Amino acid sequence: MANRGEIACRILRACKEAGHPTVAICAPNDEGSLFTELADEVVLLSGETITETYLNQQQILAAASKTGATAVHPGFGFLSERADFATAVSEAGLVWIGPSASAIEKMGDKMTARQTMRAAGVPVIPGEEVDGDGEGALATLRQAAERVGYPLLLKASSGGGGKGMRAVHEPDEFDQAAAGARREAIAAFGDGRIYIERLLSGSKHVEIQVLADQHGRTIHLGERECSVQRRHQKVFEEAPGPTMTPELREAMGQAAVAAAQAVDYVGAGTVEFLLAPSGEFFFLEMNTRIQVEHPVTELVTGVDIVREQLRIAAGEPMSCGPLMIRGHAIEVRLYAEDAANGFLPSIGPLAVFRPPEGPGIRLDTGVREGDEVTPNYDPMLAKLIVWAPSRKEALEKMRRALDEFVVLGTTTNIEFLRDLCDAVPVVDGSTTTTTIDDLWPSGWNPPRDLMLEEAALLAAASAETMGLHRRNATGDSSGTAQGPPSPFTTLQRRYP
Amino acid sequence: MQHVFASNDGPIEVALEKDGEAYTLEGNSLTKHSHGRLRLLLRDGRTCLAHVAKVDDTWWIHLNGRTFRWERVEPGSSSASDEGGLVAPMPGKVLEVHVKEGDVVEAGEPLMVLEAMKMEHRIVASEAGKVTAVHFGVGEQVAQGATLLEIEEAS
Repeated sequence: MANRGEIACRILRACKEAGHPTVAICAPNDEGSLFTELADEVVLLSGETITETYLNQQQILAAASKTGATAVHPGFGFLSERADFATAVSEAGLVWIGPSASAIEKMGDKMTARQTMRAAGVPVIPGEEVDGDGEGALATLRQAAERVGYPLLLKASSGGGGKGMRAVHEPDEFDQAAAGARREAIAAFGDGRIYIERLLSGSKHVEIQVLADQHGRTIHLGERECSVQRRHQKVFEEAPGPTMTPELREAMGQAAVAAAQAVDYVGAGTVEFLLAPSGEFFFLEMNTRIQVEHPVTELVTGVDIVREQLRIAAGEPMSCGPLMIRGHAIEVRLYAEDAANGFLPSIGPLAVFRPPEGPGIRLDTGVREGDEVTPNYDPMLAKLIVWAPSRKEALEKMRRALDEFVVLGTTTNIEFLRDLCDAVPVVDGSTTTTTIDDLWPSGWNPPRDLMLEEAALLAAASAETMGLHRRNATGDSSGTAQGPPSPFTTLQRRYP
Repeated sequence: MQHVFASNDGPIEVALEKDGEAYTLEGNSLTKHSHGRLRLLLRDGRTCLAHVAKVDDTWWIHLNGRTFRWERVEPGSSSASDEGGLVAPMPGKVLEVHVKEGDVVEAGEPLMVLEAMKMEHRIVASEAGKVTAVHFGVGEQVAQGATLLEIEEAS
């Protein structure tokens, strides 16, 4: 398992179910993390930074060789979309649980991907690729920009996660934006090549999950809508898309299958599209790995995507029947961040971590109560996923689940997510990629409820008076032995 | 049962009252159930369960889907005073003034009581000293951040 955290837990559990023994790798600052307890063996890496640990191909391959591992699952992030790692894994005689290095390469370079898609008849966003990344390329880019038209988007060919990306609304902003995008791209990816796409405002982000096995079968599992994003990061994802029609699903599904086939894709992957208000859809990029939001597809299709990855990598045919979409699923991403303060990441102890329960609720997480949230890794704490027969009921369930979710000791975005569930575009399904900025142009703040604030003050003062923070020290009603667990806990860091 | 909590707007003094088994404050009441469960009855009739945890000096409280933080100010630690001036933690009305110019006060001695956010807030001396100025009288409105009185530290 060449990954950590939540996705490592997800995959290690699938391996356990399938009867595959597992080896986890673990950085020194990750020791004791939940995922290390779910593996049969743990190899402790050396090093402080992620470059020295989870991005260190030599160490990971050595761990595989030492333990006699036969396959490598890269999860998402880290080395999951690195063609050179896929090659190194295969050359070490191990099975790479993912697509071929050449498929990763063709999709990883965004300009090559656009050209490949165009050749395969998959619609791409109107725009132009420009070769070369020297100073002279800027002049060529500016000419191309005139042909594409404004507003437009500059994107780094090696880009991802919003790096090397600039929106340009007027021609006189162009030079500065292009230079900035290029600088950022060189710094982040060592590749300053930039291409231009027309900026399609009011569009939805709709992506299609695909699966391809080594027996020539390539299928799609329908769509996910992930329009609600902040700083190019998704926070609210759902399946099926609230405005999707069976005809459009079929058309987008076929385009996604064609995209996968064009690069001889094997395994699970996601083809991302922009769906314009006109109903036209355009290829954005393909993620050649399992995705964070895969659970919503699993809940509405009944397909265990990670188990299928394992089957496909083992050379077996995938087990899915015809596509059946049932009910509605919504996922929200819980981040350790201060939504009221520009979504700044936060750190701290998870003094209380009490997820909601009940029918139709799934929690994918890599943390548990008592863990410490550190600045070492991504601030995503958990994914809360709900399923219900209808979208309306799924949203109702999500509201209830978020209200029940208790995290104390670290600031999270739970209240922001809860507020989002009441926002008009979310309720009526008209979300677009700019929804969060449109709703809260000057930043989000929690609604004030004076009576609850006063009640919280009463609770704090009463708890202090009762000495609740000292309770665990005396062993009184810690709640682990009998009855439901106690709603309070303590890190016993300091007593008055 | 008095506690002082810090807020963005300055320290808030809380005086809990006991009503049978319940603690009350501003018409809200709290009872402790088995296993440490805290049950709140709000003054508008709502009931809710509170989850609480103390991390360092801060109480984290979850109720009704909301999470609040109240940092407890330890008795004797410095609070409102920056340069000897005691400022209003929030806009409100002066209810009581306990000192006059020239008085010598001990740390923790109540100086003034403000009413704000429907709560009474006691302004206490953060250290021993001599009152050199009192800027507001009973019944006067104060703006947030207004200097209420000034104390010269005892050396």
